[in-house]
Amino acid sequence: MSKIARLLLIAVFLIVAIGPVAAQGPVEIVFWHMEQPPHRVARVQELLDEFNAAHPDIVVRQEPQNWGEIYTKAPAAVAAGNAPDMLFAIPDFTPIIRAVGAVQPVDDFVAEMNEAHGFFPAAIEPYSYEDHVWAVPLWNMAHSLWYRKSVFAEAGVEPPTTWDEWLAAVQTLTTDTQYGIGLPANRHLYTDQTTYDFMINAGASEIYNPDGTLRFNNEATVAAFDFYKQLYQYSPPDSPNWTWGEAEACFASRTCASILQFTVITTYDTQAEGDPEDLGVMAIPHSADVEQSGTIAYVNGVMVLTDDPAKQEAIYTFLRFLLEPENYGRFLNMEPGLFLPVTESGSQAASYWEDPMVVKYKSQIEVMLENSRNGMLFGFTGGNIFPSIAQISAQNLLAQTLQKVLIDNMDPAEAVAEGQALMEEAIED
Amino acid sequence: MTNATPTTTGRARTGLLAGRFRRPAGDTLLGYLLVAPLILWLAGTILYPLLSAIRLSFLDVGIIGTGGQFVGLENYSKVLGSDNFWEAFGRSLVWVVANAVLQTLAAFITALILKQRFRGQGLARVWVILSWIVPTVVVVIIWRWLLGTSGGIVNYLLVTLGITPQPVGFFGTGPTARTSVIFINSWRWFPLMAVILLAGMQSIPEELYEAASVDGASAWQRFWHITMPGLQAVLFVMGLVGMLWSINVFDIIWLLTRGGPSAATTTLPVFIYDTAFFKYRLSRSAAASVVLGLVLLAFAVLYTRVMAPRAEEEQG
Amino acid sequence: MTTDLAGLRRSLGVYLSVAVLLIVVIAPFYWIFTGSIKAPQEIIAQVPTLIPQSLTLEHYDHLLASSAFPRYLLNSTIIAALTMVITVVLASLAAYGIYRLRFPGSQFLFKIILVTYAFPSILLLVPLYGMLSQVGLIDSLWALVIVNVTFAAPFAVWMLQAFFRAVPYELEEAAALDGAGRLRVMLRITLPLTAPGIASIAIYAFITSWTEYMLASVLIISDANRTLPVGLAGIIGQYQVDWGLLLAGATLTTLPVLILFGLVGRNFVDGLTAGAIK
Repeated sequence: MSKIARLLLIAVFLIVAIGPVAAQGPVEIVFWHMEQPPHRVARVQELLDEFNAAHPDIVVRQEPQNWGEIYTKAPAAVAAGNAPDMLFAIPDFTPIIRAVGAVQPVDDFVAEMNEAHGFFPAAIEPYSYEDHVWAVPLWNMAHSLWYRKSVFAEAGVEPPTTWDEWLAAVQTLTTDTQYGIGLPANRHLYTDQTTYDFMINAGASEIYNPDGTLRFNNEATVAAFDFYKQLYQYSPPDSPNWTWGEAEACFASRTCASILQFTVITTYDTQAEGDPEDLGVMAIPHSADVEQSGTIAYVNGVMVLTDDPAKQEAIYTFLRFLLEPENYGRFLNMEPGLFLPVTESGSQAASYWEDPMVVKYKSQIEVMLENSRNGMLFGFTGGNIFPSIAQISAQNLLAQTLQKVLIDNMDPAEAVAEGQALMEEAIED
Repeated sequence: MTNATPTTTGRARTGLLAGRFRRPAGDTLLGYLLVAPLILWLAGTILYPLLSAIRLSFLDVGIIGTGGQFVGLENYSKVLGSDNFWEAFGRSLVWVVANAVLQTLAAFITALILKQRFRGQGLARVWVILSWIVPTVVVVIIWRWLLGTSGGIVNYLLVTLGITPQPVGFFGTGPTARTSVIFINSWRWFPLMAVILLAGMQSIPEELYEAASVDGASAWQRFWHITMPGLQAVLFVMGLVGMLWSINVFDIIWLLTRGGPSAATTTLPVFIYDTAFFKYRLSRSAAASVVLGLVLLAFAVLYTRVMAPRAEEEQG
Repeated sequence: MTTDLAGLRRSLGVYLSVAVLLIVVIAPFYWIFTGSIKAPQEIIAQVPTLIPQSLTLEHYDHLLASSAFPRYLLNSTIIAALTMVITVVLASLAAYGIYRLRFPGSQFLFKIILVTYAFPSILLLVPLYGMLSQVGLIDSLWALVIVNVTFAAPFAVWMLQAFFRAVPYELEEAAALDGAGRLRVMLRITLPLTAPGIASIAIYAFITSWTEYMLASVLIISDANRTLPVGLAGIIGQYQVDWGLLLAGATLTTLPVLILFGLVGRNFVDGLTAGAIK
């Protein structure tokens, strides 16, 4: 049937397939990333142009994609042989692409880069399992609590460190025209992240037991969901539909007095007042049962998909270039203040700290870096890493569980029990 | 009915007679030849993928691109035994009925307004269709922008005019999200329906209305006894195609709500997409879509049997 | 006197209802357009402004400087134009066969054609991807032309029925008596008479293709081949909502169809109507 259809298609549409370019040219590398905002794409292109000019035998091209589509598109492309040579990743996306059988181990290269630049250990960990390293870490991101100092001062609120203080502050900040905090309740990665922020700060950071069974259903998790619900009353009514962008917009428009976010710097600078003196950032408050604040942190990396040794070598050449301190800072500053370095040499690089935006918001970025040191990612903690976390995070089961509490008004304990059941079903095979 | 649409049936008769008297043997062959390219095109783009999907539904493929074993009817029994499927099914029914009612109502009102004579009629008839000619993505941006709480005009008006004490999160609760999505989809589609209905209304001879007026028929009677019968053929096809289109609507829902909050707007197409690409149960999702396809096919067959206007049958 | 008053009241009612109708359809577009020329702070101000207080083209500058918008526009136009041509050819041939020749089984074939709408495009997504990939059409504009014709053609066939039924058989007979063959009669006599209808389906096919999002988002990989809706969805972005950029994008995406419809919109509406009147 497929042959007939094939012939039919060819006959009917009279389409000439585009032949591959002659084999003798430079090695061509295509990579997909999900940093689609135009200014990020432009910065990446700047680096690509420099690299390509310096390496006449290699041509690297970027194809920006959307996180919303990539879960459909990447596996389909791999299966159909249209995969890119490199694909950017977050830890819980890697197992999906591995299941399609395309990810190449990068142990040796990561070791080499570690030698040269000193990866922070936490950067490699979420990509290390089943005896190999599956991606080259590129940057880190971590949540902080963002606010305006003037707004807090006006309301007579001190930056909270514990949950009791936090709840009181949010209550005080809520007025007729302002919501005390903007918290998402969408079935979306952003909500997974904020939910996990609460879980960490309630002492429920571990989702797995060491044997791979789930321990999501416990009292600390329930406490986290319960407290989320208490704060959520002071969040705008459209927050069930939020992704990162709406939260930032809410903060920028002064509708939200505070939000949990990786960064708000660009939005604050371009769409709001842009006064670095007034922009406050702090660690996420924690419950009385926990000693210090923690936050969700994502180490983003890049996976090598091609099995062609020549292409792999070209990719390594490119990544060596990218991780050189003089380039790495500019790469990270495609979104100033969002992407945090994962190498020792990068964290001291002049190219990182000399960006005008970074200079302007230096004190905020230092706090972000500080917060990121206590970063964790659900399913990648405590040395218990199980690739099945991909199924849990792809379905946004943390957010789904949260929605049961916030939207369906279910009792938190009951919702968490159901959440664990959903997770067990998701990872069953 | 024959009285109501003399021209249509009359024309059909002449055509039929003409056909009968002068249908050279070559016409049948030519007919098939003319229809063949389209049928082949549709077969290539619908039938072949459809068969692949059916095959897929008997395997146990998880992530797209991986292999699978034959598992017989297991996917079907899992799908048919799942609450989520039936809930999505129910939501799809509500969706299709609400859209049909809303769009038909809006389209009729619009067509009746545009049928009146007024200055600028030509312009109004062209531009009323604006919401249909822009991409879904634009529709989504417009409504997220209008209905948002940061700078959204609708909430501002609601609060300022004292209609609601606080801004409404239109996509924030199940019922409001469902209602909003239905309204937005209807807003997008009713102009096309209206223009097609208007075209249908124009085909009804003015003399019929004049005669009825002389006989003292009320506006309502004229509508019911002249307009509606005259539109039968149009309504038949619009009803069928409109419902098939609307039950398969995916992008506007996905882009507005991703099926949320808490699955409140997860209709069957959203459920199918979610199962395939986020739950990584490709085969199960194929089974769900085959079930949906069968239901729609049954609906279409039943609909054409029951609702087909007599004129159509005569010509068949 | 009374009839005058009634007439006045009536026409007032008509104008009022037309006004309401146009507000429902057009006001949202006014809102995005004016939003797109406001300064960022004014866009998200808590008190919205009906008439822009700050005039700026910065969002448009930003959009054109930072994304391949002209390229998306070109791609969408190419795809829509090809979809239009192929749909017109396939649909008019089929409609002629079904409505003029009325061969045995023609109504059945017509129903088969319409029933293709019963199969969700979601259902077809995965196999279509596999199939197009086998013939090397992933990331090709042709892939979208192929699927868009499938979406547009069935309804287009139906839209043509009134036109084909309206052409008097006597005309064809006369031509046939003059010795012209069936095909010649069709091409020379019948099709030209149905020109308004063909214009309508051409526009219909164009718009159907222009607005398609889902398959374009999956079947196209490279930025250079993206269509307007996918390019626009890309700048919707997940990380930041830059309403100014988005509204500018929405406005620029609307503008080409606005111009197109300004030029040929009458043909679409009148075309449909003309077929019905004859």
